[in-house]
Amino acid sequence: MTTGAPTRGLPIEIRGLSKHFGSVLAVDNLSFTVEPGQVTGFLGPNGSGKTTTLRMLLGLVAPSAGTATIGGQLYRDLTNPASLVGAVLEATSFHPSRRARSHLRAVARASGQDDKKADASLDLVGLHDDAKRKVGDFSLGMRQRLELAGALIADPGVLILDEPSNGLDPQGIAWLRDFMRYLAGEGRTILVSSHLLSEMAQTIDNAVIVSHGQLRGSGTLEALTAGIKQQSMHARTPEADRLGIVLSEAGIRFRRLSHDFVAIDGVTPEQIGPVLAQHQIVLYELTHEGTDLESVFLTLTEGMGFGEHAATS
Amino acid sequence: MMRAVRAELLKMRTMPGMWVVLLLGFPLTVLFMLRPFIMAGNHTFPHQTFSYVHTLEDRRLLLGSGFSCITLLAPLLGVLCITTEYRHKTITGTLLLTPRRSRVLVAKLVATAVWAVALTVLTFVAVAAVGLPWDVAMGGTVSSVLDQAGAVVPELLLATILLALFGLGFGTLVKNQIAGVLVTIGGTLILEGLIVVLVNVIFHYDLNWMPNEATAAFAGIIARGGGFGGGSNTSLNFALLHWWEGGLVMLGWGLIPLTIGYFTTFRRDVT
Repeated sequence: MTTGAPTRGLPIEIRGLSKHFGSVLAVDNLSFTVEPGQVTGFLGPNGSGKTTTLRMLLGLVAPSAGTATIGGQLYRDLTNPASLVGAVLEATSFHPSRRARSHLRAVARASGQDDKKADASLDLVGLHDDAKRKVGDFSLGMRQRLELAGALIADPGVLILDEPSNGLDPQGIAWLRDFMRYLAGEGRTILVSSHLLSEMAQTIDNAVIVSHGQLRGSGTLEALTAGIKQQSMHARTPEADRLGIVLSEAGIRFRRLSHDFVAIDGVTPEQIGPVLAQHQIVLYELTHEGTDLESVFLTLTEGMGFGEHAATS
Repeated sequence: MMRAVRAELLKMRTMPGMWVVLLLGFPLTVLFMLRPFIMAGNHTFPHQTFSYVHTLEDRRLLLGSGFSCITLLAPLLGVLCITTEYRHKTITGTLLLTPRRSRVLVAKLVATAVWAVALTVLTFVAVAAVGLPWDVAMGGTVSSVLDQAGAVVPELLLATILLALFGLGFGTLVKNQIAGVLVTIGGTLILEGLIVVLVNVIFHYDLNWMPNEATAAFAGIIARGGGFGGGSNTSLNFALLHWWEGGLVMLGWGLIPLTIGYFTTFRRDVT
């Protein structure tokens, strides 16, 4: 278990994946690849289809169309999947009366591992002293650690983590960040979904951004931020409607982000400043759209695909 | 498959509800032990409330004292085994470790059968700890009761396993633990008997294929102290199935809901 020896990760491939829940299209023709040796962030607003996608990947939800494979195989076709893939999906999947060690021993047995691996996993996530406590008495953060211990018990080459930092304290989050980097450094494939963008920015190598079940952008952080940096500015104004009219008349592309927030595309402050002054538009704020992950995320999840910077109004 | 079975056995061993159901087998067996002693007293020694068991039927009834409580407790073992997974959402982790859902069900079936065997053994322990000393104290002999073990033990064991399978099938179908437990208890203690009586009285139809009636047919010796299998419903006086028919019907009561549950609820998306 995480011995430091090189571990062969497996690529995750999502191809044309879709899922309908009745009339609701939760995931819409999603395609992306996650490579080994890197931490890939799976980012999107609440309800964007992240968890559904991960559950389809793990065989818990049947896709309406498309495939999701790990190392070219469906999860359900993997021989002893726990030895290849570790997953942390939710912190509620414990029997509250079961002790931490018993829970992990059940996981170890189902994975074909020795009971001793349960104790080793508890050590790894810092829960050794709580091994005999009932999981029902655990905090959310402790449950997350326990879930992670279960995912790591068979030393898998692929880790799939759904909001793993939920409930973790700052030290726990820092520990998780370092741990993911360490595991990726061993050659493992790490796919992690999160809404903590600033945290993710310090951790991930690549990002897959989804919204409304659709892919909005994917690639390295550098590529994603570079694509946004050249394109846009943000203006906060009480006259957003009038600003829209002015920009339209000037042939400048823009997007209305909220009632007082407008993204103006393809111009510099030097170009837009005189236009706004000429029409006496009151501004509270005029900034370059930032180049951090949060800015990329906000831009890409406003209903436009990455690279599609056409004007919408 | 063995990995999944071992995991299921450990999970069941660490569920308090399973132990409550199992351990209830001891006092309930002791309670139902009164029946053969009272019957022996009434039939042969009318001036006595209790007597040592001295007929073949009474000896078999004493050794199989656990039968009545098993008809209630064994299905509960099966119901708890599967519905606890949904109640605490542990089904997600279970399916991550064993993605083939049919294997999960088979593993649960095996693990439930092991617990059913443990329940049966516990009822015999109760008989050995309480029934036999009591019988000896009233003038009976241990050997005369134990001589009937060959007839009683296999029947009680198989009946318990079939009833546990029935509970597992029902639990797979309903998934909801509270509903599963309440319907099992209510159905076993009240509902089934009521339905059987009403249908018999109103429509003059013998519902001898209902679970309790089928179990009674299968376990004829220990259920009524009579000959092997068959017999009649003592209160309504209708013919029960042959013992092998009762066994097949019980198997059906387990496998049919298990199969329906597998293809409907158990294969559904786990969201």
